[in-house]
Amino acid sequence: MNSLFLFHLAGLALLGLGLFGLVQRKTLVGMLISVELLLNGAGLSIVASAKLTPADDVLGQLSSLLIMGLAAAEATLVLAIILVVLRRFGSVETDTIATLRD
Amino acid sequence: METLALFAYALYLAIIVGGGFVAVTNPNLVRALVGLVAAMFGVAGMYFLMNAPFVGLMQLLIYVGAISVLIFFAIMLTRPPAGGEERATSRRRPMAFVAAAAPVALLGTVCLKAFEQTVDVPGETGIKELGQGLLGTYGLAFELISVVLLVAMAGAVLLGFKRREEA
Repeated sequence: MNSLFLFHLAGLALLGLGLFGLVQRKTLVGMLISVELLLNGAGLSIVASAKLTPADDVLGQLSSLLIMGLAAAEATLVLAIILVVLRRFGSVETDTIATLRD
Repeated sequence: METLALFAYALYLAIIVGGGFVAVTNPNLVRALVGLVAAMFGVAGMYFLMNAPFVGLMQLLIYVGAISVLIFFAIMLTRPPAGGEERATSRRRPMAFVAAAAPVALLGTVCLKAFEQTVDVPGETGIKELGQGLLGTYGLAFELISVVLLVAMAGAVLLGFKRREEA
């Protein structure tokens, strides 16, 4: 087992935990936390792949920065969406706001 | 990897897995956020271990400094009178486990089989090269992420204003 796979293993652990949380959580805030875990894992894997293979190092590090910017934008928008949902349904639990299913 | 690096790696991995586990399972959302912050610190440690100190510091600044505060705002603004607890779920756990395990197993096999490591000790890339890349080769991505951030901010402000008009 080389160190590239070890770093990918950490990214995979974050991926698994994030997906688990995304399905299992019942509130939008909990799901937001899980998505942040997923994005962290993605950035870690990209930097590891760029650092330990002949791929362009600058490309890998800048991709990770791009992911961080996207995560910041996503967190801002999700916060605003959560506020609107709370205003409209009075709750942020996914079972309460599943009106399309009824 | 050297023995010392392996030790540091094991420590960071333990922080990531422990923090991530708390983040996805703890019914109290504030404690879950603390777990998420711990996991982010672990990832920053991994970046330092990979000889990418700039990305590691950005991880600390953006994730630990900014995004965790945003999530904390979300928790505070939505906190129900009973006190931030999620109802216990047991029915969804097996489904969630399958949903997480299947992609991890697939991607893990790919990672193990497909990629070949060619560099033993990752070399250092200075901030100078990163800046030149940001303004030269990857300038388009840099401009696009600025536009995305601006649009996200404007959208968030717009949603907030609509909310107040209705009230």
